[in-house]
Amino acid sequence: MPLDPTLHADDLQAWYGSMPVTSRYTYGPAGERFFRAMKDEARILGTRCGRCSLTYVPGRLFCERCFDELTDWIEVGPSGTIEAVTVAYLALDGTLLDPPVLMALVRLDGADTVMYHRLGGVAASDAKIGLRVEAAFRPSEDRTGSILDIAGFRPLGVNET
Amino acid sequence: MTQRIASYPGTTLSEEQIEQGRVLSVHDRLRADYTWDAGLAIGLYLDGLKAGVILGVRCARCDRTVVPPRAFCEQCFAPMDAFVPLADVGIVNTFSLCYVTWDVKRIAEPLIPAVIDLDGTSPPAGIMHLLGGIAPDRVHIGMRVRAVWKPARARQGAITDIRYFKPHRRG
Repeated sequence: MPLDPTLHADDLQAWYGSMPVTSRYTYGPAGERFFRAMKDEARILGTRCGRCSLTYVPGRLFCERCFDELTDWIEVGPSGTIEAVTVAYLALDGTLLDPPVLMALVRLDGADTVMYHRLGGVAASDAKIGLRVEAAFRPSEDRTGSILDIAGFRPLGVNET
Repeated sequence: MTQRIASYPGTTLSEEQIEQGRVLSVHDRLRADYTWDAGLAIGLYLDGLKAGVILGVRCARCDRTVVPPRAFCEQCFAPMDAFVPLADVGIVNTFSLCYVTWDVKRIAEPLIPAVIDLDGTSPPAGIMHLLGGIAPDRVHIGMRVRAVWKPARARQGAITDIRYFKPHRRG
């Protein structure tokens, strides 16, 4: 029996398996404070670096520019401005999204960073950079301390996301 | 060294804090599905087992027959020359009495994993398998053993197509 890869290609075997991987992620001191405020108070918090005149959202522990510790927590939003928008036609698993989902980078009022989230209550053709939007929080009983405690962003003055 | 560190910097969390929801957390369950291609050499080895034959491979240049099969000779790096059917008989090279299972459960009757040098390999080359049909205190290095196969219809092309090796007397 010679070692000929072409001769026996059909006989080659494969092993199938599945490794269960479980993980538990805690948000850390800054993330805990940020998500706790979302869950319990429907407020969006950032931290401010006075030295660099920058407000980070979500709030973080140190300034990414000067590495100074950040202790100045301030509320931002819930309204903001769209900085970028895209239309997603495919879900994570590759299936078609019908209708398509709008995703936007939102700069919350008072923040220097942007937040990536869903955009609703607006037609894709009307979702433009510069559009004024606001965060739509889920009811308090549905909030779990997740970024999805905000159901999405919607144009200012629109009641349904 | 770590014993000299009295307290580590950072925030200590307890299981209780997380379970009671005093600290927020996200649980994730991922399923890492995989397919491992056995490749040419092991693929045919597994096919051989399904057919009830233990296949080795031979390097003519090094005058070596080894098992399990591999695609190239690790001494001269040339491709192996041929598959060679081996007898399902060999001698115990080494063994262990194992009182815990793979998932760390205690067992009263030990499993007896062993390396078995198969007849026809040169220099003697072995595969790892289990010994059976023998009292643990009777096992010794150098004893001859023979494969106990699953019935043909139960074999699936796996090393477990051999149930275990049991004592074998010549003749």
